[in-house]
Amino acid sequence: MTLVQDLRSALPDVAVRDGLEVATGLRGGAEPELVVSPSSTSEVVEVCAWAGRQGLGVLPVGRGAHVDPVRDGRFIVLETSGLTGIEEYEAADMTITARAGTSFGVVDDALAEHGQWAPFDPPSVRTRSIGGFISAAAHGPLWAGYGALKNHVLGATLVTGDGRILRLGGKVVKNVAGYDLLRPVVGGRGRLGIVTSVCLRAFPKPHHERVLVLSDRSVPELLDAGVALGTAPILPVSIVVSGPLTELDGRSALVVRLHGAESTVDADQATLESHIRAPLDRVHEADSLLDEIRDRGGVESRCVEVSVLPSRLRDVVSAMRNVGFASSVVDSYAGRIRIGSNSLEREAVDALRGAAEGAGGALRVVRWAGDDRPAGTPQREAEAGLSERLESIFDPDGVLWPVRP
Amino acid sequence: MTQTLVPTVADRLRAIVGSDHVITQPDRLVAYESDGLTAYRVAPRAVVLPETTEQVSKVLEVLHGEGIDVIPRGAGTGLSGGALPSSDGVIVGTARMNRILSIDDQNRLATVQPGVINARLTKATEPYGLYYAPDPASQSACTLGGNVAENSGGPHCLKYGVTSRYVTGLTVVMADGEVVRFGGAGLEAAAGLDLVGLFVGSEGCFGIATEIEVRLLPKAEGVRTLLGLFDTMAAAGHAVTDIISSGLMPAAVEIVDHATIVAVEASVFAAGYPTDAGAALVIEFDGTEAGLDDDANRAEQCCLAAGAIEVRRAASEEERIGLWKGRKKAFGAMGRIAPDLLVQDATVPRTRLPEVLARITEIGEEYGLNIANVFHAGDGNLHPNILFDRQNQDELERVERASREIMTLCVSVGGTITGEHGVGIDKRGYMPLVHNEVELEMLRRARWVFDPGGNLNPGKVVQ
Amino acid sequence: MAGTPVTLKGGSLAGALEAQRERLLPCVHCGFCLPACPTYNRLGDENDSPRGRLHLMLAVVEGRLDPSSDAFQTHLDRCLGCRACETVCPSGVEYGTLLELARETATEARRPDVFSRALLTVMGSRALRALFFLGGRFMRVTGLANVAVRRLSGDGIAGKLRFALAMLSATEEAGLERHGRASGSGAWVSAADDGSSLTPSPPVGSAGVLHGCVQDGLYARINEATARTLDANGFDVRVVTRQDCCGALHAHGGDLTTARRLALRNIEAFERVGVDWVVVNAAGCGAAMKEYGVLFEGDAMEERARAFSDKVRDISELLVSAGPRVGAPVECSVAYDHPCHLMHAQGVTAEPLQVLNAVPGVDVRVVAKADECCGGAGIYGMTHPDLGARIGGDKVAAVRDTGADLACTPNPGCMMQIGAGLRMEGASGEVVHPIELLDQSYQRAGYYT
Repeated sequence: MTLVQDLRSALPDVAVRDGLEVATGLRGGAEPELVVSPSSTSEVVEVCAWAGRQGLGVLPVGRGAHVDPVRDGRFIVLETSGLTGIEEYEAADMTITARAGTSFGVVDDALAEHGQWAPFDPPSVRTRSIGGFISAAAHGPLWAGYGALKNHVLGATLVTGDGRILRLGGKVVKNVAGYDLLRPVVGGRGRLGIVTSVCLRAFPKPHHERVLVLSDRSVPELLDAGVALGTAPILPVSIVVSGPLTELDGRSALVVRLHGAESTVDADQATLESHIRAPLDRVHEADSLLDEIRDRGGVESRCVEVSVLPSRLRDVVSAMRNVGFASSVVDSYAGRIRIGSNSLEREAVDALRGAAEGAGGALRVVRWAGDDRPAGTPQREAEAGLSERLESIFDPDGVLWPVRP
Repeated sequence: MTQTLVPTVADRLRAIVGSDHVITQPDRLVAYESDGLTAYRVAPRAVVLPETTEQVSKVLEVLHGEGIDVIPRGAGTGLSGGALPSSDGVIVGTARMNRILSIDDQNRLATVQPGVINARLTKATEPYGLYYAPDPASQSACTLGGNVAENSGGPHCLKYGVTSRYVTGLTVVMADGEVVRFGGAGLEAAAGLDLVGLFVGSEGCFGIATEIEVRLLPKAEGVRTLLGLFDTMAAAGHAVTDIISSGLMPAAVEIVDHATIVAVEASVFAAGYPTDAGAALVIEFDGTEAGLDDDANRAEQCCLAAGAIEVRRAASEEERIGLWKGRKKAFGAMGRIAPDLLVQDATVPRTRLPEVLARITEIGEEYGLNIANVFHAGDGNLHPNILFDRQNQDELERVERASREIMTLCVSVGGTITGEHGVGIDKRGYMPLVHNEVELEMLRRARWVFDPGGNLNPGKVVQ
Repeated sequence: MAGTPVTLKGGSLAGALEAQRERLLPCVHCGFCLPACPTYNRLGDENDSPRGRLHLMLAVVEGRLDPSSDAFQTHLDRCLGCRACETVCPSGVEYGTLLELARETATEARRPDVFSRALLTVMGSRALRALFFLGGRFMRVTGLANVAVRRLSGDGIAGKLRFALAMLSATEEAGLERHGRASGSGAWVSAADDGSSLTPSPPVGSAGVLHGCVQDGLYARINEATARTLDANGFDVRVVTRQDCCGALHAHGGDLTTARRLALRNIEAFERVGVDWVVVNAAGCGAAMKEYGVLFEGDAMEERARAFSDKVRDISELLVSAGPRVGAPVECSVAYDHPCHLMHAQGVTAEPLQVLNAVPGVDVRVVAKADECCGGAGIYGMTHPDLGARIGGDKVAAVRDTGADLACTPNPGCMMQIGAGLRMEGASGEVVHPIELLDQSYQRAGYYT
């Protein structure tokens, strides 16, 4: 009996395809034994249990765009794309619960109908599954104003490697009933389990958004201005310095966003301008500009991310000559740099990692097509040990197939 | 019965922290038998008050070697008994670890020892135009170490979020004395699981944080405070829902009910709230001066549309303090009208507030108890205050039963048993209301990950 | 009934505390008092915090703790009695009152040391007091005190003696005359809002000044300045004879019997003259006298004592109620510190500063942490040399940080403590009462001629 037949007889209701049919996402030449698309949490449980019995690894895949399998061995792909739909949306409570395979665009549209939104903006966010970007803790340029994604994930349903269902968190904003196991799941990259449903916090849509730009300056000058804005008495919702932008005729720019009432953003703009002693240009109809910034690094075949204290950003950026600023976007408040390019070289990334670590920061390889994948900054030894122990209680048999950390 | 500490162990501890900072005489341990929750009293075997990470490490190493339980304690302001000693355990207190180690205004970060008082950090960062956002009601007394352990909230968390949003890195002494660094600003891109996020809210069961790195925010330019007075709690609840769904982002929305207003006005803290009001709503906006009046006007309209009898607006800092007084002095005022006070803590989805409050009133009547409600309405975080006299055994039992019923009610509408006070010892019995056995077992295993021997704050959160 | 000791119920193990369960219950153990407590801030031990001490009291009342135990004795004794905890208490716990009752229980259980008892005996007797302060003034006037402060070593008995003499030498007059007058006549007139404060107001009531023990013995000049400035502001100042020490020191030390005896004498003395206001220039005395009603709680005297307490005012409160008149300039800078018994026990904070505002040319610099105790607390520096020195040292540093010419605080105990601390560090250590500055200002303005 083939594996597919075995699975079909064990779990007749689960959608299953032959592994060779899977095309997108998996890089590095690894081929799954088969691909399953469960349509409920209980089916996910059954698939995990079945895989455990078969000695197969399970690799959860959302949209499949950000996955790198790492271990050798036989594995199956568990697609969450069968787990779609909004489970509950109580607009007055500003919480929305959706199944993990739901694309963020669907969630966003539902929220928009009630004048709400969720401030999540990693690259290509609308087409990504919410389970996927929560596992990656992917973030975007709105970090300054809204903080990290993890602050807005209120709850999740998780299937552990050995097929237990855990309801983590809840659907209320304040919740301290027990240790916060949800936290390491967000950004856990599938190491702790398969997220099947997520409850997010929504916000009222800001009345007004103003997008301000400073260009016509050298990159170091833009960067200094960006870092300086991070010490202004008011906090914009986003402060980024981007490499050349098509929307700005190929110029690099400092792009600042303000949310609030019109009178508020007027005053805030004046405060920012006086803080850096330079006028900022207002951009009307800024949607495509913002999309371009948000999606930078999202589609290129190679992408790395650097974190460092804002005050040390310049040290790292000056070491980016070999990488090129052209394909970068810097969140100068968060101290994050994202670089996406099809032509990133391993040596350049190694050098950049050295510069980042030398400045007290870290580098992560987000995506890497090809075999010469460079290493990112590891967690400290003691932390890594604890992470492993933590992993062992979620996935005691090592069934889950983590993507490269 | 509390066991005394073996003299040699006491001597080793004294050698580490100095003899003045190890307390072993039974008479002197009496003061440590409760934290902010006085319903329980257990004296510890000893109290050790270290001053540095190194001392904490050595102290824990000795206690771990002897198999002695450790109860971490900050200022002892917790309301869930998280720092309640066990009779065979030793308290390790952080009261002397009260130094602000650094303030980095460029990157808006501060690093503090765990015994630093929450409000002191805000005061120290004021000269830089910065502040530390989470503001638990006890912020003038509670310590950041305790805030980290409890993942503390506060009135302004509606807009700014709770402690875990602001903690970026930790130095932690593990149960066996090992010193470990978790996270750190600038290291977000390093590989690994979010151990900082997991540690925050671990109620002293995972380790003792001895250095805490937190993010600071720029101080808001202006503030507007409104007091809405309503005939009924339902009308006030309506106003809250309207304000929040109208797209306004208040910094805080707090409600006190009729019973609380009466208690406050009868006390030395009378705030001038009319005693015939059914509910009072305190609404605050902060941010850029230019937009605040608009926000306040719109909120006032929401209140009036929901049937407010009167809306007052503070014209000065003094008046602002006055409007807040009825809310902030509520606990103290209630402490004066009954011998004992149980401050409950639960969260429900905001839209379920009116029905939950009505039902809590009924529960109070059914059990013949006086229950007053004070709460963070914006995020549905309730604090029913149950007044009682512990000398009255029958009443004490009714308090227990009513509490359980309130908790069951909150969970049944999609809420939870604690929003910000933590589980400690007090809420442990309610944990099965929100977690099934599989989940409870997972919490036990999580504790094992950090403290395999189970010596740190045993008996708290889960058994 | 003069001199009859008044006794309250008590006598059992918990003594005077026993009846105070109701006073202890409002404490909800919230811990807000901890950061306000100077001893807790420095020692970090719950036993040395207000909440901890209240818990010890409750344990005694509940019969779980022996009042003669080291814990009860040591930690209650270590309290400065500054009452900063009362200001921050959300439940309005009457800590000061409870402390006095607890100390009575503690002293019943275990006799205090000879030194403390001797001091209270001296202060409780007019004759002994007169002799004691005569000796003090002799040491001061001959400069012996100053010499001793420079020569004595810092440890043990000699250290305590040195500190005592430093306190004595700190009572020297500051010599305000030498501080500058603004050039040009009438420059100061503009300081008044209108002409009204330049002339005395119509009589605003009769006032009798408490002479007190330390003030009478070492700070007679402040008592005189008090009477003069009141007169200049339209008060009818009457001489009240046969008054006595206010009894605060005894009450704080747990000797409530003597405290009541002294209180009774004062009540009778002031009643005899029949004044509208009982004026006090010492924060500690004012606080105690405003609480005579509580001291006699449950006694036949209670109502009379309350009526008396209602008339007690700090000098700054009375002056502010009448204006005060603006005087002539005294150009100097002062480091101002709030006395605990004014700020925390009486809730008087703005008035002394308003009094200083009536003196043109004075640059008032409020010291950092002015709401924290200076460590004076009677003779704390001698009974708790180490902790007292730490608390006092922090205050002296804060005073010096202002870089002001003079220290200024409206309480003799604090004046002596801060002055002694400054002198121990070799600084000039001049300390004035705000009334001395106002008095100097009025003299220059010619209000007394």
